[in-house]
Amino acid sequence: MNKVMGNKRSIAFFVLPALIIYAVFALFPIAYNIYMSLFNTDLMAKKQFVGLGNYIGLLKDGTFVHAFRNNIFMVIGSLIAHMPLAMFFANAIFKKIKGAAFFQTVFFLPSVICGVAVGLTWTFIYNGNYGLLNAFLKMIGLGSLQQVWLANKKLAMFCIIVVIMWQYVGYHMVIQLAAMRNIDSAYYEAAQIDGASGWKQFTNITFPLIKPILKIDAVLIITGSLKYYDLVAVMTSGGPNHATEVMSTYMYYQAFNILKYGYASAIGVILMILCMLSVALSNRVFKESDE
Amino acid sequence: MKKNISEKIWMFIKYIALILFTVMCLYPLFWLFLASFKTNQELYFNTWGLPESWSIVNYVNAVVKGGVVRYFGNSVVIAVSAVVVAVILGTMASYAIARMHWKMSKLVYNTFLLGMMIPIYGLIIPLFSIFKALGLLNTHWAVIIPQIALGFPMTIFIVCGFMRSIPRELEEAAVIDGCSALQCFMKVILPIAKSSVVTVAVVQFINIWNDLLLPRIFLTDSEKMTLPVGLTNFQAMYSTDYVGMIAAVIMTIIPSIIVYVLLHRQIMEGMVAGAVKG
Repeated sequence: MNKVMGNKRSIAFFVLPALIIYAVFALFPIAYNIYMSLFNTDLMAKKQFVGLGNYIGLLKDGTFVHAFRNNIFMVIGSLIAHMPLAMFFANAIFKKIKGAAFFQTVFFLPSVICGVAVGLTWTFIYNGNYGLLNAFLKMIGLGSLQQVWLANKKLAMFCIIVVIMWQYVGYHMVIQLAAMRNIDSAYYEAAQIDGASGWKQFTNITFPLIKPILKIDAVLIITGSLKYYDLVAVMTSGGPNHATEVMSTYMYYQAFNILKYGYASAIGVILMILCMLSVALSNRVFKESDE
Repeated sequence: MKKNISEKIWMFIKYIALILFTVMCLYPLFWLFLASFKTNQELYFNTWGLPESWSIVNYVNAVVKGGVVRYFGNSVVIAVSAVVVAVILGTMASYAIARMHWKMSKLVYNTFLLGMMIPIYGLIIPLFSIFKALGLLNTHWAVIIPQIALGFPMTIFIVCGFMRSIPRELEEAAVIDGCSALQCFMKVILPIAKSSVVTVAVVQFINIWNDLLLPRIFLTDSEKMTLPVGLTNFQAMYSTDYVGMIAAVIMTIIPSIIVYVLLHRQIMEGMVAGAVKG
């Protein structure tokens, strides 16, 4: 057995192709990115070592700070908007109601549609001239609220969060639902005999038992909100006047619009650190609560 | 009795909420579908109604002017090749990690898993500079290669998890019968792990199909663009042909919906399993 399954050549045959591709096109670029973030470069003639200059520049760059704030706004907005709503729907569907499978399938649908198509769909909905939202407001007698939604500096970010919610609430619901379905039904049977109400069952059984998944779900929402790109790129491309810029769109702008690759690399490094931090942080919280 | 009434009211509220959200999910898509048959004038004055005539002229425009079919073909080529290679090589690596005996297997596994934490932004600029140096910009390779490399972490995470649950005795018996490692893989393990491999393949296909960032950076020539980039290109070039663009959006969405209707169970399972690690 060990002769066959421990054979060095077979192991190399199975694992090396993937490992080499992964090392060259994923691991090496990560390291190279950190190195590049210390330079001022246009990838052509110019290459000048600036040390931490790019990072210091970013801290002083009002647009980057604003983009960072927008990401934080997205993180908080998404946490507040997604988690309770997803939990409400998951709990409603979990209680074996009629049409549970149908609701689950429909709610999840938007999350498999391409972000660009979703973004464009919602630019049509938000459109000031023929948009669905304005038409709806007019119909219910709130015509005075009609406007060009995505051109409004104050509302544009909020409009984007609504779209993210539309796209991903079903996704988070399915994650929470999977956790609920793993709960031993004996708990509920016992609770029923004791005459515990639906709300009591939720607070005393369901919620404590799905807590670990809720933490994972929160990490997904946080990293997802930090990485968001498609919708913002399509709906506002960071406008009006950088109002909805997030770190990812700003990085794209710095690299591929004004060719400051070193500066963009530094944004990439910051994004990477933030994502890893949020995972590490949650792992710690996770472990502490286990003990 | 009292409790019964309050439970009933609660039930009623739940249903109202569920139905409302169902409408919210589906109506925008339905509205868009109707709008794809309207004219630009109709879009302004006939927001809610059915189109006056079910003319497919917008779809013709999307195909002829917008080049949607070409984008579609490019998307298929890129997604299929990246998924096939990533899943085959990833499954092979999973086999070595999950089933074979070697010291570094844990380290290699963790190295691959690290990739699930790293956002694409941490490597996109170096990839651009590598592909620029290799002359691969504006070729499909520039998107396929990173998608393969980035597909490994999830493939290995899910397939390894599945393979570890297969009892050892099966392979032991096969080895005693004289099977090599490759034969064990092909004849014993792979048939059992098939469902997890298919799930991974479907989920990765959807992710690559939907991705905007990589093709947008690497494919600036409209001959090479995938559907999502093509749509943004359409948006920039024919910004006044709203209904043409709506038709193009519908043509992008429909295949996803068809795949989803057919495979929604695997897709949900796979997307959830890939996300909820540990």
